[in-house]
Parts: sequence; structure tokens; C-alpha cells
Amino acid sequence: MDGRVRDIREVIREEMLMRDKILDLLKDGPKTIPEIARALDRPGHEVMFWVMGMRKYGQVCEDELTDEGYYRYRAVCKEEC
Amino acid sequence: MNYDVLVIGSGIGGMESALKLGDMGYRVLLVEKEASVGGKMILLSKVFPTLDCASCISTPKMAATVHHPNIDVLIYSEVEEIRKLPGGQFAVRVRRKPTFVHHSLCTGCRQCEMNCNVAVPDQFNFDMVARRAAYIPFPQAVPKKAVIEREGTSPCSFACPAGIKAHGYIALVRSGKYREAFELVLESTPLVGSLGRACYAPCEGECTRNRLEGPLPIRRIKRFIADRYYAEHPAPRLSPPQEREDKRVAVVGAGPAGLTAAFFLAKKGYRVTVFEAGPQPGGMLRTAIPSYRLPKEVVARDIENVVALGVEIKTGCRVENLEELKNEGFDAIFVATGTPRSRPMGIEGEDLEGVYRALDFLQQVNEGRRISLAGKTVVVVGGGNVAVDAARVAVRLGARRVIVQYRRTKAEMPAHEREVVAAEREGVEFQFLSAPLKFVGSGGKVAAVESVRMEPGEPDAGGRRKPEPVAGSGYRIAADVVITAIGLEPDTGAFRKILPLNDNGTIRVDPHTLQTAVPYVFAGGDVVTGPSMIVKAVAQGRRAAFFIDRYLKGEELKGVEFDYRMPVVDREKVLGRQQSYRTLPPVEEGELLQERPGDFSATELPLSEEQARYSAGRCLDCGVCSECRQCAATCPAGAVDLSMKEEQKEYQVGAVIIATGFQFFPAREKPQYGYGKFKNVITGMQMDRLLAPTRPYNAVLRPSDGRVPENIAFVLCTGSRDRSVNNPVCSRVCCMYSIKQNQLIMGALPLADVTVYYIDIRAFGKGYEEFYNQARDMGARFIKGRVARIEEKEDGNLLLYYEDIDHGGKLARAEHDLVVLSTGLLPNPRVPELFGNAKLELDENLFVREVDEDLNPGKTSIEGVFVAGAASGARDIPDSILHAGAAAALAAAYVERIRMKK
Repeated sequence: MDGRVRDIREVIREEMLMRDKILDLLKDGPKTIPEIARALDRPGHEVMFWVMGMRKYGQVCEDELTDEGYYRYRAVCKEEC
Repeated sequence: MNYDVLVIGSGIGGMESALKLGDMGYRVLLVEKEASVGGKMILLSKVFPTLDCASCISTPKMAATVHHPNIDVLIYSEVEEIRKLPGGQFAVRVRRKPTFVHHSLCTGCRQCEMNCNVAVPDQFNFDMVARRAAYIPFPQAVPKKAVIEREGTSPCSFACPAGIKAHGYIALVRSGKYREAFELVLESTPLVGSLGRACYAPCEGECTRNRLEGPLPIRRIKRFIADRYYAEHPAPRLSPPQEREDKRVAVVGAGPAGLTAAFFLAKKGYRVTVFEAGPQPGGMLRTAIPSYRLPKEVVARDIENVVALGVEIKTGCRVENLEELKNEGFDAIFVATGTPRSRPMGIEGEDLEGVYRALDFLQQVNEGRRISLAGKTVVVVGGGNVAVDAARVAVRLGARRVIVQYRRTKAEMPAHEREVVAAEREGVEFQFLSAPLKFVGSGGKVAAVESVRMEPGEPDAGGRRKPEPVAGSGYRIAADVVITAIGLEPDTGAFRKILPLNDNGTIRVDPHTLQTAVPYVFAGGDVVTGPSMIVKAVAQGRRAAFFIDRYLKGEELKGVEFDYRMPVVDREKVLGRQQSYRTLPPVEEGELLQERPGDFSATELPLSEEQARYSAGRCLDCGVCSECRQCAATCPAGAVDLSMKEEQKEYQVGAVIIATGFQFFPAREKPQYGYGKFKNVITGMQMDRLLAPTRPYNAVLRPSDGRVPENIAFVLCTGSRDRSVNNPVCSRVCCMYSIKQNQLIMGALPLADVTVYYIDIRAFGKGYEEFYNQARDMGARFIKGRVARIEEKEDGNLLLYYEDIDHGGKLARAEHDLVVLSTGLLPNPRVPELFGNAKLELDENLFVREVDEDLNPGKTSIEGVFVAGAASGARDIPDSILHAGAAAALAAAYVERIRMKK
């Protein structure tokens, strides 16, 4: 599917780099993992690491579940935290 | 300190033993390697067969253990060695890893985690999500206190003489925190912009990424930080501290060392006056380094950082009498006058018109005096950075030909390679193994350099081959201008009266404190070290400020630690953390070099924001924690202390209980199942985390794309009952934990299909058979047959090839969108290594052997050492608890027995 799997440590390390890009994308509204992956041109499983890391630390949260079985994620504004 | 019993490991077995013994009145020392007690059970979703919440059962036990009056818990600690003593007791050595957080102050608020800039795999979520270098292990951790993972100092930070946290500001830039990055560098030096432009960056030479595609452009990232900050803040946001000291400090010399010392002393509240002989502050930054490398407005803005703290800089003030300064009311003096003189060559013709000393030449140009070398031939004598600077300046002043004459080989040039390459590209010629004999004049002006060829001679005392003239090789180089740059020396004659000097004129100081023979006088920078790098002068300024502060407070100087750094992390270990690396090429050098440049415009392009972040994103986080100090800055309790050190503690105990648990079979060792390669193949423990209330995702989702799975397969006996991976034993719990997960999934995802591929269902415990039947009744499908291999489809779904035993043993194929490998349990291999003078026997499967399993379960081959729970073999939770109770009773009996012997 998405080609060679990179070392998890390397992917996870990039969360800090990708965070602003993902938050920027979510300004347009909630998105699923495949939608974010397409916009960033990065594999879905890598995006999962970044989005779930951001969710853990309160920068994004889940929104509705689509008919296709994907959750949408939205940015959490600081006031909401 | 003595204890009745040492318990190693705080999983359910260890906690149970400790609690039983504590309740009986025994004093227990419980040692846990992680930052929380609880072991693996606390990470589970629920327990089987009751489906009670694992957290709800574990947390009261965890709290009871930690708060029990008879139990002392050492978390984040490891038993290093246990030695049996003649009286039957044991001597125990424990390594207490530094947590870098004072747990008496930490409130568990997670601010450190939230602001940490290093993401690493979260071992408590089995690498499904990130945690931070600063972390609380999991939400129910006991104690709920943060620790900071630091494996050592990152090589870049360790290499910086000034103690600038290179890894720290790189991590901040990676996170887009540019202001914080600037402020971090400012904690070590006021000269952020100057170092960003002109430092020779020893950090880059040590960057671990050198072993891959090349180092990070650490200096240019610093320049990016400074440029951006200065553009946004034309004036500093600093002000003098509110609490001022009465004492006054004089700093003699406004170069990098003096300015840095003044900055740090002013931050401490001292009234600091800097005396500078020249017309402007900055020292070599202003007078020697050409503006194409270091624009003077950058130097000026750096100096504003110092002045903003209330430092007074008096220019045109040459200090020759230090005692006079003392008499004027200065309580301490820091001499940092640098090496402002070019060393004379001592050959004929040095006084001819047209012969310059390099520093004078560079100073005149930097001061804006108009010097035209148009059409002239310039010979620069020397091979250091000053020589190369002079040559490149001469090119810019219009010289027709510029020749650098150096008596040794190119490889031996002390000049930075980058500068030499740039000089060559700008048209500077180099004559190596060539030395001037005299400068020949005509009409009082220099006209030629009488030269001789050199060859490497015998090695000198330092092993360096001394160049020797080649007989009969004399030749002339026609020259209109000669610039000598054979070295710099201090101008310290005036201080000789009261300060002992070295033969080369440098000031003699205590190298640790920088204090001179006169207690109130400290000295540092090039005037002590001889000509060096800016960043080394900065380091000396920082050091001097630290010890001057102590001196003025009447505190001890000798033996006091300054700028403690953890040992540098091993680069091989860093690289070994990953199995593969993606190639991330360094950004282009950005040098704007052209032949014969005609002006002094900057020769290096700044990094764009995108380049800076990309470059910072290449960082490998060698030390794990980057020392960016955001945790310390945001901790409301002031609990973070990065100076904590490891401690070794010795204890004497009456008995030992090993409760080190088990480890899971590494699923990668069954490559035919694709774990680590196929994104939607996960382990049983990962599925348990997905089902737990503190799960890494918001629901049970496919790791490949975040879709809710609809058709999940469980492959039992992965790495157990399997001779091909050298583990023929049944792990006893895999069937039941998988069945538990089946039921939980069917509850959480009612539409999902669940299929279990098994060889044999072990449902031996109370209520287990019913539990299994319940899963079947709920709709879980059980297929008897070993899975041979798994393939990944384009959409991330997985094809399982298996033997369908119940249907005649035919080979079959099935498609699933998530596969769970129910991995077996393995022993903990480190346990026997703990015992120094007694042999702890293992059974045939390498679990701790119980020598009398039938009558004395928990008794090991060492009298007084007992084993509890899964350290002696795969067990479920109820069995582990029972076993731990037995071990506790045996330990108590042993303690009483050795007491009676006494």
C-alpha cells in the first residue's frame, strides 16, 4: 500500500515538524486521516502517528464518524483546552 | 539502610508480595525500573474472565503499595548487584536513575510534557503513539510524577565550549518556537547573532547525522533564530534585574569574553562597567572579522543585549593599572583584553611602506578607512583564519592578485577549511611550503618578497613536522603590498607588575576558576588561552562570571562544579535505535561566492524558515531530552532540575523476592506474519491498549489509515508452542486474553466480525471455559489451524493463509482488515546477572527455577531468594497473586530464621 514502512522512531520524531502543517490544514475544517495524508502527500500510517500524538497532547480531537468508517479530526483551540 | 525484604519489580506479583510482607510488619524495599509501579497489569483494558477494569483493580493496590508505612518504593531504579552475606542476609546495590524532576515538588500537572519538544515512541502504549522526553508514564501512574528521559548530553551540545544547548534550540526550531530558541541561546551568551554568523561551529563536527548524509547546519539555524528575533525585536526585551547587588565589577576589554562576563554578572545584579581601549565595543568581532562574514550591525545588536542589563561600556579607556580600578571601588576585575597585536616576523623589510600587520589592516578596513588595492599584488604571509580573512578582504579592495604564502602544507593550515575553500573560489592563490626571507623595498616601499621553498622536516616535540628551507630554492614574489599574519599576541605588559604572566605574555590563571594570583582579578578569553575561537572566549566569559559571583559572595571557589554536563551520548548507540534511516539530504551551503568580489556584502544566504525547520527536523535527538528547558520554564512548581545525577545506593536485606515478570515474544521474529512491515498487523498487547480507557487512539482503529476495522483476525500462539522460534512452551494466557479482546471488540464494534485462528484453546481456570463459550455465543468465529503466512493488499487489508483442520486440513485463505498476533510470554533474561556470588538457576525455558515447586512454590536455588509471579513461568493474574503470597510467606519465614540464628 503506502510503500516501505519507515522506522517508527523516525516517523514519531517528525510529529514536531508536522504539527503546524496539520493544524494549518485543519483550519479548513475537520479531516479524516486519509484526507490529511493526501493533503500532506504522506502515508496514512505516518499521519496516524502524528495525529494521535497531537490528540494525546490536546491539539486535536475527534469529530464525527463518516459513513466510510473514518473519524474526522479537528484542531482544538487553546481556549477550549 | 537495612530492610527485611527486597522485592524486585512492582507488577502485580511484586506489589502483592510487598503488601503481604508490609502488612505482616516487615520492612520492605521495592525497586521498580520504570517511573511508576504497576507493571503490565495497569496497562490492560480489562481482566479475564470477570471483565473487571484492570485500572480499577490495579490502582488501589498501586496506591496502597506506595503509601504503605512499611514499604519504601524506589521507582526509576535498577538493582545492579546482589551479594549473599555470610549471615544469610544480602548486600544490594541499587542504581537510582535521575528523574530530573523533584518528586516532592511535582504536582503531576503535565505542563512539562505538554511543552516538551522531543517525541519518542511511548513504550507504555507499545509504540502506537508518541510520548515526550518529559513524561508521566500513563494517566494512572503511581506516583503520578514526571521524569525526563536523558541518555546523556547530545554530541552537539557537549562539543560547545560555551555550553550553548545546540540540541535544545534545534528542537525548538523544529517545533516552530523561534523566540524560545533565541532565549535559550541567550541563556549561554549575549552574542547570538555573532555566533550565528561567525562561529566555527564545533557542534557540527560532532553531529551524529555526519554518519548518515552530513551534519545539520547548526550554526546557520542559530543565525536564522537571531535574524528572525532581531528583525522582530530591534531593541532588547531585557532590563536590569530588580534586585541589584551593591558590589561593582570592572571588565577590561569589550570582546566576546568581556561582553559575556559582563552580561552574566549584570544578570546577577552586579554593577558592571566595561572598559574598552578601542573606539567601539566588540573586540575582534568588530575589528578583525570582515563584515561580509559578520555585519557590524549584528555585533551592535548583540552588544545591546549586554547594555540593556545596565552594563556601562566606556570606550577609549585603556586600563593599565588594575590596582587603581580596585581603589576606585571595583570589588572584582575581569581582564579580557584578548590578543590585539599581530606578532612581528622579525625579518628585514618589515617596516617598509606597504607592509601591514594583518590585524591593523583588518581593523582599518572595518573602521571604514578607504584603502584601495586596485591593480596591486598582495602577498599575505600566514595560514590562519586572520591570514585568510586578510586575503579575502584584499580581493574585495580590488587587488589584482592575492597570494597567501604559508610555510607548511595545505592540510596543516590552521584556517578553517570552509574559509580556505571560499578564498580559493574568490580567486586567492595559495603558495604552500613557502616562506618569506625578507621584504625587498624600492624607494622605501615594499616591492617584492624574497622567499624560499620549504619541505617538511623532522617532527618537533608535538609530533608536527617542522618545515625546513630547501637549499638553493630561493625565489622572489613581486608585491605591492604585504600583509603579515603569523599570529596574534596579548598586550599585557602593563599588568606584569601585579599579575604573573606566561612566557608568551598570556595571563596565568587557575584554569578552573580563572582567578589570577591576585584574588580580586580574574582573567579569561584569548588573553589567557592565546588566539582562539569566539565561542571559546564566550565560554571563558561565562566561567569567569560564575566564579566572580562566588568570589564576591565569599563562597568557596575550589572544587566547585561549573557547567555540569552529563557524559556525551554514544553515537553508535544513537544510530542503533533505528533499524533504518530515510535519507534527508542537508540543505545547500548557501555560499554566495564569486570570483573577485568587489564589495563586502554577505557571502552566505540565510536559511529560509522552511529550510531551518527541515534542517532541524533532521535532528536525531541523540540525548533524547534536548535540554531546551521548556519543561523548566513552564513547570509551575519549579520541580525540574536538569543537574540531577545518578546515585548508587547500598542496602542490606534479609531476603529477596524476584518479581520481574515476563516479556512478550517479539512478533518481528515471525517475519511471515509481517509485524512491523504490514501496518495493520498488531500484537495482542497493542490491541489491549486500543481497548483500554487510556487508549492511544480515540477508538479501535486501523493503524494504516484510522478506519474502524470490520473484520478482525486473532492469530493465537504467535511465538509460543513454536519450536521454530525456540519457544515450545504454552504461554497459558494468550487464549484467554484474546477471548477477552474478542468480547470487548464485539461490545465496542457490534458490526465487526471476529475470527480466531487457534491450535488449542486452554481454558483451564475458574470460569474460563464459560468465558470461551460466551465469546462463541457472541459471534466470535474459531478456526482450528495454524496460520502459515500473511500478505498485505494494496488497501491495507491482509490475506491470511492457514490450514483449516476442522475442514479436512485443507489450505485456505481469508481476508481481514486488522490482524492481532496473540504473542506468547518469555522470561526476563537479565535476572540471573544480578547475583554476584551465588548462582540463580533457571529452568529449561529460562524462567527462574523453583527448586521445590510442589511443596515450596517460589523457592529458588539460592537460599533466601524467592520468586513471585510470572518470573518463574507464564501465569495469569490470579495465579500470580497466589504465587506472590507464597513467596512472601517463604521470605518472612526465612527472615525469622536468620534472626533466630543471630
